[in-house]
Amino acid sequence: MNTSLFLGKQALPKFSKCNITKTLHKRFFANVSEESKQQSELFRFESKRQREAVGRIEKIEVKYEGPPEESTLMMNKYLSTPYDCAKHLGEIVANRSAVALVNGETLWHMHKPLEDSCSIQLLHYNIPQPAAVNKTYWRSCSFLLGAVINNCFKDNVNVQLHSFPSPNVRSGSFIYDAQLSLDNWMPTETELRVLSAEMVKFCRQNNPIECLNVDADFALLVFKNNPHKTQQIPSIAASNKGRVTLFKVGHHIDISRGPMITNTSHLGRITIANVFKLNTDIPGGPIYRFQGVSLPYSIVLNHVAYSILENRAKKLNPARIPGLHGVSDEDGSFVKHAVA
Amino acid sequence: MALISHIIRNTSIKSLEEKFLCLSLQSLNNTQIREKQVAPQPRLRNPTWLTKKNRVIHDDFVTQENREFISEIVQDKYENNTNKNTLPNTVEWTPNMRRTGVIAKKIGVLPLWLNNGKKIQTTLLQVLDNHVIRYYTPEEYESPRERAIKVKNKAPCIIMGAEAVNPTLFTKEYCGLFKDSGVMPKKYLARFFVSSEAALPLGTPVSALHYSVGNYVDVRGKTKYWGFQGVMKRHGFKGMPASHGVTKTHRRGGNIGGGGEKGRVWPGTKMPGHMGNRYRITKGLKIWRINTKYNVLWVSGCAVPGETNSIVYIYDTILPLRKPTKPLPFPTYFDINNQDVPEDIYDDSVHKFDDLTLTFE
Repeated sequence: MNTSLFLGKQALPKFSKCNITKTLHKRFFANVSEESKQQSELFRFESKRQREAVGRIEKIEVKYEGPPEESTLMMNKYLSTPYDCAKHLGEIVANRSAVALVNGETLWHMHKPLEDSCSIQLLHYNIPQPAAVNKTYWRSCSFLLGAVINNCFKDNVNVQLHSFPSPNVRSGSFIYDAQLSLDNWMPTETELRVLSAEMVKFCRQNNPIECLNVDADFALLVFKNNPHKTQQIPSIAASNKGRVTLFKVGHHIDISRGPMITNTSHLGRITIANVFKLNTDIPGGPIYRFQGVSLPYSIVLNHVAYSILENRAKKLNPARIPGLHGVSDEDGSFVKHAVA
Repeated sequence: MALISHIIRNTSIKSLEEKFLCLSLQSLNNTQIREKQVAPQPRLRNPTWLTKKNRVIHDDFVTQENREFISEIVQDKYENNTNKNTLPNTVEWTPNMRRTGVIAKKIGVLPLWLNNGKKIQTTLLQVLDNHVIRYYTPEEYESPRERAIKVKNKAPCIIMGAEAVNPTLFTKEYCGLFKDSGVMPKKYLARFFVSSEAALPLGTPVSALHYSVGNYVDVRGKTKYWGFQGVMKRHGFKGMPASHGVTKTHRRGGNIGGGGEKGRVWPGTKMPGHMGNRYRITKGLKIWRINTKYNVLWVSGCAVPGETNSIVYIYDTILPLRKPTKPLPFPTYFDINNQDVPEDIYDDSVHKFDDLTLTFE
């Protein structure tokens, strides 16, 4: 409790100074809001603090199974990530790995530090049973869609991201539900194309997706301006021992339970197919469901087949509509029994 | 002293740099090599609307069931559209009016016999599955090349497409050209200038019955590619004798000009050069026979440009003395009342093999 208060007092003056003196970085979005920058600063500060809090570095043995050959790596406890292990195994393995499978049962985000000696498998998109990887990919697409929605609208539109449900690849689209201050918005073809183009541009920045396990208070601080997330965090934390997993890509931060893919460069073709207005009882503004379909970069498909996928994604996704009293984001936790 | 040493160091570095540049592979390639242009650059000027047609086909690892599923969807999509053809108004034809042409394939040369016993050579032109892809009014139409001479009396233009192909072989952009007409993407496209009464709704099929037996057509095709040819093949020169003391001159051009005031080689002098692979139009070919089952036109002569299985474009003739006497199906032939058309339609003077043999007295 004390540490979080300390953080609050210390962090604020620090990042306001940073905002003024920060050098210009390339912005592909028209407006990366001040709030996003503040959030990402908080995230960086906390991740740095957690790294420094490790203290004495202990060694763990990580057994790597699978191509090209089995090997045992000596890595650092609470510091090394599966991505670090992949880097030891070569550029090809590092670039293609989407998610790691620890001890044959737990899906592990590539940039999440390993906690104990274990055996890992690095999963990618062309393995014989890619069900788990597909789900991770779909979840990451939803997450990135949230990033795009947050930054794409003009300043006169108030955007509040709500949540995204568990990924269901078979439904044909990945979704993000967001509250917009637009009353009856029917997106035109051009607008959908612009959204898709923005998402493609964002992914081509090749940002890594970083993760951080924080306590509920810090999460509430990060999302203090988002009423929906503020409502969701206590229930998420309650079922996860008071901890919440945050994921960051570029300047965007979001909450999710499951692992995400390594890098936005893994996304190939992306189409945001349709936007539907939902009937909910949530106060504020109407909730819109953004739907899209995407393929990994390593999977090549002709335009006829892809247009069939796009047409499927245009139909309303039957996933659960968010309500005022429902528990949102029942996103699948670290999945056991990855082989589906 | 320090300054001098600094200068010396810099200059020596510079000279070293220059030497390294000379040694690099790039500088080696800059040497001028003078040689005759064996294959001259094409004088192709692409139009502004040109879309990329063919795409590189990678192995996409789609399962066999999914492949079948995709082809089913594609079939369904295009089959539904063909039924929606409404019969448009048939216009009374007048000799001034121009109607569309068709895209056909030259499939071979066969003889026909006339009732006077004469044998004629005929070229078979198979009219492919033509559909109207696009109709441009004179105001909409943009010429691919800006002509120096302004075109008076601009005519509307119909774009016909022929030979339906699996859309996966083409780019998405090219397939988008066929969205309005709702037909499966076509391999060949052609433009035909028509009169405004000849406007056809998009997606209308045009078959061999667009033409009638006994009328005349012009056929445009790309001639056979002969490459760089000598003067004997290219211009039909006689050459020189093979023996009897003729020195080093058997297939050459001989004299190329006179002297006097205009003592130079005149432009247009026949010399060896590139032969073939040009569009040429053979005019005034009579249609002797039409096969309705396979959509084949039998036109007179063997002089249709191109080799067998090449694409040709057929137009109604512009020759003034071969204009049609009977009215033509205008704007095109429509199968009204599901008429039963015979499989082969012959010109009156053609001898049919079912008839009795010709006798001469």
